[in-house]
Amino acid sequence: MIEVILRIRDGGGYAELTGRFPEDSTVLDALETLRARAEAEARGAVSGSGPASGAIPAPDRGGAPAARVPHYRHSCHHGSCGTCGAVINGLPSLMCLTRFSELSAPRPREPGGPAREPERDPRGALVVTLDPLPKGTLIAGIAARPTAALEAIPEEYSYLRPSEDAGRAPLPADPTRDAAPRETKGGLTSPGRVRFEACIECGLCSASCPVAVPFMGPAALAAVNRQREKNPDSADRMLEQAARPDGAPACERHLHCSRVCPQAVYPGKHIQLLRNALAGRAQ
Amino acid sequence: MFDPPILSRHDARICVVGGGGSGAALAYDLALRGFSVLLLEKGEFTSGTTGRHHGQLHSGARYAVGDREIARECMEETLVLRRIVPQAIEYNGGIFAAIRDDEADYAPAFVSACLEAGIPAREIPAAEARAREPALNPALKRSVWVPDGTIDAYRLAASFLSAAAALGAEMRAFTELVGVETSGGRIQGGTIRDPCGREERVSFDCLVSAAGAWAGEVGALAGLDIPITPAPGTMVAVRGRISDMVLSRLAPPGDGDILVPQRGLSIIGSTQTRADSPEGILPTKAEIEFLFRRADELVPGFSAAPFHAAWAAARPLAGRAASDAEGRAISRDFAVLDHGTEGVSGMFTLIGGKATVLRAMARKAADAVCAHLGIREPCRTADFPLPSWRSLDAFQARMAGRGTAGSGGRTGGTA
Repeated sequence: MIEVILRIRDGGGYAELTGRFPEDSTVLDALETLRARAEAEARGAVSGSGPASGAIPAPDRGGAPAARVPHYRHSCHHGSCGTCGAVINGLPSLMCLTRFSELSAPRPREPGGPAREPERDPRGALVVTLDPLPKGTLIAGIAARPTAALEAIPEEYSYLRPSEDAGRAPLPADPTRDAAPRETKGGLTSPGRVRFEACIECGLCSASCPVAVPFMGPAALAAVNRQREKNPDSADRMLEQAARPDGAPACERHLHCSRVCPQAVYPGKHIQLLRNALAGRAQ
Repeated sequence: MFDPPILSRHDARICVVGGGGSGAALAYDLALRGFSVLLLEKGEFTSGTTGRHHGQLHSGARYAVGDREIARECMEETLVLRRIVPQAIEYNGGIFAAIRDDEADYAPAFVSACLEAGIPAREIPAAEARAREPALNPALKRSVWVPDGTIDAYRLAASFLSAAAALGAEMRAFTELVGVETSGGRIQGGTIRDPCGREERVSFDCLVSAAGAWAGEVGALAGLDIPITPAPGTMVAVRGRISDMVLSRLAPPGDGDILVPQRGLSIIGSTQTRADSPEGILPTKAEIEFLFRRADELVPGFSAAPFHAAWAAARPLAGRAASDAEGRAISRDFAVLDHGTEGVSGMFTLIGGKATVLRAMARKAADAVCAHLGIREPCRTADFPLPSWRSLDAFQARMAGRGTAGSGGRTGGTA
């Protein structure tokens, strides 16, 4: 177990909540536990037994009432939906995949910065500071939607892509294919194996990007390049979008996007591929 | 371009409580039928059971032996969803795998039950199944192909929310219904708490609780005792895409018997227990170890893959279960409760169900609202491909700009 002080941005200040959590607990698990506790107390319905399925033990608060947890976004709890992004101790991260064990070890305090020992209070408790993702649309607390980061994702961009084939036999014949015509976006017209794109549209890349001029951002440019790669018919339109002043030319190659991406999309690589394609077209 | 015609407009304002899959589909269904819609979600959209579900698009095969009707409904809905939300579905089919002798013996009854439910299941040779998905246990005895798939739970629900938003539904996340107002036995409106903690009174003509496992809490606001059992299940994801097809055990529904691939992950689930409250439910170490053991039976070596995440969510079982076994016996079917007979006319609760049938759940609830109001409007949600989930964000930003969804400010430009 590990003693944690969670400092959670709430309007102009921070709400400070403390608790003891397992080291492999994620930041999101901790917020969920604290919120469940506070809501149950607010309803006057705290029972000693707790939920039947194993909840983290209630934090020891020395008899003080449970503090309200500022609003935060979450959905899938496994790094798939992309909603729970926050700046955790200076680094844009997904709360559902960031564990206290990781935060207890040396870690950069800003994208691209050197790893440093974590902040601790005089008693040795781990201090975890949560801020909303920059450049987002703030709702309340640390709940911010990465609206601007996703605005320039092309409408024709397909979220599906062929799955890694890995030498497997084709999928079995499927009598239901006729009843549900195949997705035709992105050139996927054959009944092959499909999967979602790796990008979960969490906006960590844009949140970490220091570019201060108008910029459609790394997520949108990665989508532009993926669509160009998947569907040759759309390549010209995609390159046209990439060539806009707020497209690839605005990128200053800080590469923070690739460092913070929780899905190894490496948006910086996609921007470079777009630059290469634009240069090739100019010749 | 998503621009379905609204056939006629109705003055009635309907409040939907719950921004998960069923609430999202219901807001869209009601908006498409011409109603004024207010959707309330106390947290972020899909922050309850919807987002944390296993991610299986059910052909219904899992339920074919035990509950023919929900199986048939799953099959019908899976085809509709593949047509109207193709971008939120990895559709690669599925295989039910018999590893033990008793599972092999189950194959004929399983296939015939599927066929009777309208699911085009068919046995394929074990060698063929392993050629298509080599990760399957080499001890595979028999295998049955079914039209299963993978859903992105968040993006499926958010696509319905986008469609509702495009039709003018007012959808408010981080906004909780904290009080219900009745007069003369009829619902009049309620009190809501916005993201900044401010409370305000709102008027509506009907209230539909689509709060899933939270239906008990919403019902209690109106003094109702809703028969609901929050039934948590745990899932574990490892890194690596072990298969493209959904892999299930060829046996009656049990624990740890479904492996769902999704993006670059493979997810084993689930378990089933009972809880007093759907909040704050986390997986236990014992559940995770159990799921790894079960996954290794289906796909040897699963537990050796890099661990990614474990999570739990409460199913909304329609009924009361005194034990876990009783919970298992509760059908995954759904129902609409009309609380008019309990002195709250105009209030309904949508209980039970599963993500795959969210559109059918919404249709049933919207039908009940129409019947209550004496309005004849057909359900047309199967007719139009939905807009992208990404347009929901743009809509929310527009709402924020009008000052109705929190502070809506832009967060700082630098970290």
